Amino acid sequence: MTSRISSIGLGITVALLLFTGCQAEGTKVPDTLDVGPPPQVEAPAPVLLRLTQQQYTHCVADLFGPSVVVPSGLEPDSQNDGLVALGSSYSSVSPLGAERYADAAFSIAKQAVEQAGIGPDCSLETEGCLREFAQSMGGRVWRRPLVAEELDVLVSLGQQAQSALVDSKSSLETVLATLLQSPYFLYRVEVGGGAEGASHLTDFELASRLSFFLWNTMPDDELLAAAIGGQLAGPDELAAQVDRMLSDPRARQGVRNFFAEWLDLYRLDELTKDPNVFKHFAPELGSMAREETLLVAEDLVFEKNADMREFLTTRTTFASRRLAAIYNAPSSVLEGFGPIEFPLDSSRRGFLGHVSFLALNAHAVSSSPTLRGLFVRERLLCHTIPAPPANVNTAIPAVSTTAKSLKERLQVHMEDPSCSPCHLAMDPIGFGLENFDGVGRFRLLDNGVPIDASGNIDGEPFANAAELAEDIAEHPDYARCLVRKLYTYASGRHLGDGEGAMVDWLVASFEAKGRRFLGLMRDMALSKQFRSRGEVAP
Amino acid sequence: MKFQRRTLLKGFLGGALVTVGLPPLELFMNTHGTAYAEGAGGFPQRFGLFFWGNGMNPDRWVPQGEGADWSLSEQLAPLAGVKDMVTVVSGMRVLVPNIEPHHATACGILTGRPLVMKDGEHTFPGPTIDQTIASAIGDETLYRSLEFGAEAGAGMSFNGPYSQNLPEQSPIALFERLFGPAFQAPGEEGVVDPSLGVKRSVLDAILGDLGRVKASVGAADKARLEQHMEGIRGLEKRLAKLQGNPPDLAACAYPPTPAAAYPDMEGRPQVREKNRAMCDIVALALACDQTRVFSNVLTRPLNNILFEGATAGHHNLTHDEPEPQPEVHAITLQCIEELAYQLESLRSVQEGDGNLLEHSLVFATSDVSNGKLHSSDEFPIILAGSAGGKIKTGHHVRTVANDNASKVLFSIAKAFGMNLGEFGEAEGRVTESLTAIEV
Repeated sequence: MTSRISSIGLGITVALLLFTGCQAEGTKVPDTLDVGPPPQVEAPAPVLLRLTQQQYTHCVADLFGPSVVVPSGLEPDSQNDGLVALGSSYSSVSPLGAERYADAAFSIAKQAVEQAGIGPDCSLETEGCLREFAQSMGGRVWRRPLVAEELDVLVSLGQQAQSALVDSKSSLETVLATLLQSPYFLYRVEVGGGAEGASHLTDFELASRLSFFLWNTMPDDELLAAAIGGQLAGPDELAAQVDRMLSDPRARQGVRNFFAEWLDLYRLDELTKDPNVFKHFAPELGSMAREETLLVAEDLVFEKNADMREFLTTRTTFASRRLAAIYNAPSSVLEGFGPIEFPLDSSRRGFLGHVSFLALNAHAVSSSPTLRGLFVRERLLCHTIPAPPANVNTAIPAVSTTAKSLKERLQVHMEDPSCSPCHLAMDPIGFGLENFDGVGRFRLLDNGVPIDASGNIDGEPFANAAELAEDIAEHPDYARCLVRKLYTYASGRHLGDGEGAMVDWLVASFEAKGRRFLGLMRDMALSKQFRSRGEVAP
Repeated sequence: MKFQRRTLLKGFLGGALVTVGLPPLELFMNTHGTAYAEGAGGFPQRFGLFFWGNGMNPDRWVPQGEGADWSLSEQLAPLAGVKDMVTVVSGMRVLVPNIEPHHATACGILTGRPLVMKDGEHTFPGPTIDQTIASAIGDETLYRSLEFGAEAGAGMSFNGPYSQNLPEQSPIALFERLFGPAFQAPGEEGVVDPSLGVKRSVLDAILGDLGRVKASVGAADKARLEQHMEGIRGLEKRLAKLQGNPPDLAACAYPPTPAAAYPDMEGRPQVREKNRAMCDIVALALACDQTRVFSNVLTRPLNNILFEGATAGHHNLTHDEPEPQPEVHAITLQCIEELAYQLESLRSVQEGDGNLLEHSLVFATSDVSNGKLHSSDEFPIILAGSAGGKIKTGHHVRTVANDNASKVLFSIAKAFGMNLGEFGEAEGRVTESLTAIEV
C-alpha cells in the first residue's frame, strides 16, 4: 500500500463532466528527500486576529492566576475552513459582544485586585506609583511596552475613578479594565517595523505569534524579556526560545487545541444519540471521546515523538471505562483514562477507530458512511466536496425487502447521476467503516446483513477498516493536508499566492524527517516566512 | 413602583386567554406621549423577527381560502388565538441562487440578497431586515435592537458580512441586562451610579485605541473594527441615557424574574420554557421603550435539537424520517406554538386604547420551506400586528406563483416609513412591494 496514489478524480472522470464541483485538487509529491533551503515566498497581506475564547481565558489565567473566573458568554468564535484560528480573522465584534468584553474586563479587574492580590509594589499614595503599575501590567496585558501617551491615558482614568468613587482600589481596577477591553489586548495587532522594516514583525509581535501558535496563549515573562533584549532576532537565540517553548508544558495546551480544531472535536459537546438505539450513549460521552483522541495525540507527539501516520494506524488508545465498554475491552482504570490496546485481529486502528470520529460523523440513530467519508476528504485529505444541490431529496430510502442494510439503501447515491459524482468520493470510504455503528461499537451485521467493509480509496484497495486506515495514512494528501492545516492555523489566514511552495517545502521536510509533529511546528516557527509581513491591502 | 406581571402573562396556551387588566390608567399615564412621532395613538412602532430553523411542510401549511375569508391550516393551527392579528402570505419564492442549503435561502428571505461565498465559507452580504428597520427606528432607545432566542446559536441578525449581532440565549442574562440594577421603573427613586462617568471615559479611551489600530490595517479589518467601534458607541450612548431620567411609560413594568438556569432535560433543551421566559421579558422591554426592534431566533438553521417527543435531532429527522414525517410535523407545531406565545405576550401589554401587538409588526419565517428538500418555493411568511395600522391583519394573501419574496421585505420597510425605491439585489431585487398586504 505504499504505491503512489493518484488524485481522487480517478474513476469518476465522466461524472465530473456533469458535476465539476467534485473535482479534487492536484497532488504534489516531492521527488526527493533532499529538501534544500526553504523557498523565498512573498508574505500575503496581514490579517487582524481576534483572541479566541480559549486564548482569552488562557491569557487571563496567565496574567492573574487560576482563581480569576472569566465570565461566560464572550463573543463566540467562528470557524473558517473548519478552523477557529482562521475564523478569528474574519468575525467582528457584535454590540452585545462589545458589552460582554466591557463587563468581563471590569469583573476580571475586580477579581484580580480584590481576590488575586494584583497591585503595585509601591504605595498608591506615592507619586508615580499608579503609572508604574500601568506600565508593568500594561506591558504584559498588551504583550508589548506601552508608550508615554498610552500611560498618560491610563493614569488619568485611574485618577478619575479614584476621585469619583473615593476608593484607591478602583483606580487599579479601572486601569486593568481599560487594558483588558482595549484592542491591544483583544486583537493581535501587528504593524511591523523592527530592524528590518514594515515587512517584518517586531520582536514583540513575533513573540506573540510564537506563543499563540505553540501555546495558544500569551508570551511568558521570559519570552517577553527576550523580545525586550532583542534576542529573537538571531537564528540561534530564536531556535533556543522555540525549543524551550516546545518542551514547556504549555506546548501540550497548544497541540491539543490544534488537534481539536483540525478534527472538529469541539463539536462533540453537542453530540446527541437516540438512547433507544444506542444504549452506550450518555451526555458526557462526547467530551470523553474528545479527551481520548487528544490523549492519543499528546502521547504520539510528546511521549513518542512518533511518525504522524501512527495517528491513523496505532493500536494504542486511552479510554475511560465507558469508552472501554464501547470498545468491548477491559478498562485498565477505574477512574479517568487508561491505556488499552486494540487486538491485532481487530480492524479498529487509530483515530478512525475512535468513538470521537465514529460517533460525531454519524446520525442520531445510525452510522453515516457519507458523513464519515466527507470528514476524511475534507479534514484528513483537504479535498473539497460541495454541499448537496437544492431541491434534492436527501432522505435515505427506507428499509425494504431488497435494501436492508444502510449500504444497500445508499445504493441510489452510487447510481443516480445527480448524486454519484460526489457520493462516489465519500460513501465508499464510509462503507469501509460500516463495522462501527453510530457510537463506534464493532458489529458484523447491519440490520441482519453481513457487512462487507472492502473497497478502494483513490485506487488503493482495502479489505477492512484497518487497511483503509493504512491507505489514508499513506495517501500523499494526508501529510500535505496536515501541514496545510497547521500552516493556516499558525498564520491565521488562508494560503497566499505562492505560499503553496512554502507548504511544499514544509511537506518535504516533514516527510524527510520522519513526519514528527514537533519538528513540523519547529520548522514553521523558525521559518523566515513566519515573521514576515506582507503589505496592507488598501 | 414595581408590579409583577407574572400573573398577567402566564397560561396563554394552556386554555382560555387571560384578559389583562391594567391598573387605572391615570396612575401610569405617559407624560411623554408627544415624544412619539409614528404609529397609531402616539405609540412607537416596533419590529420583531421570529425565526425557527429547518422549515415546514407546504402541503400542511398553506391555508384554505383567501383574503379575509380563510381558515388556518394544520401547521398554523396554534395561531388560532391570534388569527385576527395575523396575515399569512403564501405562494412566494426566495429567488436568490440556492447555492448552500439552508443558508442561501435564509439569507434571501432576511436580506433579499444572495449569500456571499468566499474562501469556502459563507456570510450574509448586508443587513438583515431587523437591522434595516433598526437603522430607521433604533436610534432613540437604550438598545438599537435586541437579539435573543432559546436556541439561537449565533443568531440571524447581520449588520453586514461577518458581522453578526450576538443573541442572548439565557433568560436570566436577558433579564439582568434589561431589568438589572441599572434599570429604573417609572416612579422609582433613582440614584445615578457614580461609576457610569468613569465607564464612559474608559469607553472613550477604547474608541481611541480602536481608531489607532484601524489606521494601520487593511480595508476588511477596518470594517471589522468599525463594527466594534459601533458597539462601543452604543454602550456609551446607553451609559449617557442611564445618567439621565428613565422614560415614564404607562405600560412599563418589571417582568417576572426567570429561573436561574434551564438545563437540558435528558439531552433535550427546554426550548419552550426558555422562549416563553424571554418573550415575557422582551414584551416589557418594548413597553418600557428600551428597544423597538427585536430578533427572536427560536432555533437556528440546521439545528439538530432533540425536541420533546422526538427520537432524533430536528435536522436529522427532516432528512431521515419516512413520510409523512409525523415527528417533523410535531416539531413544526411546537415552533408555531412558540410564535403564538410571543404574539400573545405582545398583545397582553395594553398601550392606550390598543395593545403592543397592534403597534408592532412581527415577521415570522424560516430558512427553508420544505426542510427535507431544502426548497425555496412556497416559503413560510407570516406577518402579525399591523405596525400601527400600516399592514393588514387577519388575511391570507396568495400571490402569483413564485412571486419574489423580497416584496414582503420591501413592504415591511415601507411600513416603517423607509422610502427605498427598491429592495434586495440581483435575483432577489424588487422594485415594487407586496401591496396586497399594505393598508
